[in-house]
Amino acid sequence: MKLLQMTPADLRKQLAGPGVWLRTGPFSMRLHSRLPAIAAGLADLYGQFEVRSPREAFADFHVTVNSPSGIRRWVKPQAQFSFDGQQPFKPLPRDQAFPMLEWGLNWCVSTQAHQYLIIHAAVVEKNGRAVVLPAPPGSGKSTLAAALALSGWRLLSDELTLIDRKTGNIQPLPRPVSLKNQSIQVIRQFDPEVFINRASHDTVKGTVAHMRPPRESVLRQHEPARPGWVIFPKWEAHATTRLSPRSRAQTFIFLAQNAFNYSHLGADGFRVAANLIDQVGCYDFRYSSLPEAIAAFDTLASDTPQD
Amino acid sequence: MPYGNLLLKSWGDEAVVFDAASGDTHYLKPLTFALYQTCREHPGFTAAQLATTLAQRLNVADTPQFHELADEVFAQLHQIGLLQSP
Repeated sequence: MKLLQMTPADLRKQLAGPGVWLRTGPFSMRLHSRLPAIAAGLADLYGQFEVRSPREAFADFHVTVNSPSGIRRWVKPQAQFSFDGQQPFKPLPRDQAFPMLEWGLNWCVSTQAHQYLIIHAAVVEKNGRAVVLPAPPGSGKSTLAAALALSGWRLLSDELTLIDRKTGNIQPLPRPVSLKNQSIQVIRQFDPEVFINRASHDTVKGTVAHMRPPRESVLRQHEPARPGWVIFPKWEAHATTRLSPRSRAQTFIFLAQNAFNYSHLGADGFRVAANLIDQVGCYDFRYSSLPEAIAAFDTLASDTPQD
Repeated sequence: MPYGNLLLKSWGDEAVVFDAASGDTHYLKPLTFALYQTCREHPGFTAAQLATTLAQRLNVADTPQFHELADEVFAQLHQIGLLQSP
């Protein structure tokens, strides 16, 4: 059954009681929360995701977002993220409960899922080939990934590129796309039909809101993709759209430095990353216009031989 | 390509090396990678012989300045543990 088939009352009741079992990509989680913002965020953004009875299904992650005990329930109320009974983060203002859940889920995957080499990068797919989009914060990676996902590309992830260590393929983890500050309005203007949830203000990342992942991407969340390119996007005002080759060895180093578990995996992390670089084209990408950027990516995908 | 504790992967004239003993990964720019390969191919060479062979390999002038540069790179390769003194 899908989460959207639950009534809002049922969703709140389950979250506050036995929990909601939810599958995202290869991971299952059991979520507990009494906070209305968590129920609202799930209803807004996770409608297409599979849910099951939490009493009958195994969960990889047991996650809770609730108010901490004590006076902070009432005075400047806060939200606390818990994973398997531990609290890896300090509480945040309750207005940031839903972003905290998203950040916490990213943390669960990046610290636990060592069957993958996990790179901090967005990743989208078209015609069977995936584009990995690593980049420093502020480079426009999530904005570009969101625009691509709204333009016929399949969203695999906006934050975590999961490279299967056995196959070298990329495992989808299509969850809501995190948009920050000006990007929220940019994506609203790019696609007025898009659903973006209520923004949380004054977070460590500024104003944050989440875009609902496209239905098609969620339906195909168990379908891995072969790596095709690693492209470093950079938005620059008035820049001409330009794709230029970059060093494979330097791309390797950047990915290794921006992988969550490269060091943990040791020699196998090196092997998986080298195998990835062997398979892909490596590029820098400058752009100022999202439609032009989409057209450049579409050209790249259409030039690829079909399997 | 394994060299003892080292795993090396090259693309064109650049390479990356993983040192399993330390867990460190190093980027070898073209000059460094060329010197590293020269050292591997001629393990008994003196520093001067290595610099001369490297100059020939890269098709650059075999000058004292180039020898000085090769010495610096040679020292860096030692420092990060990619080369060991005999």
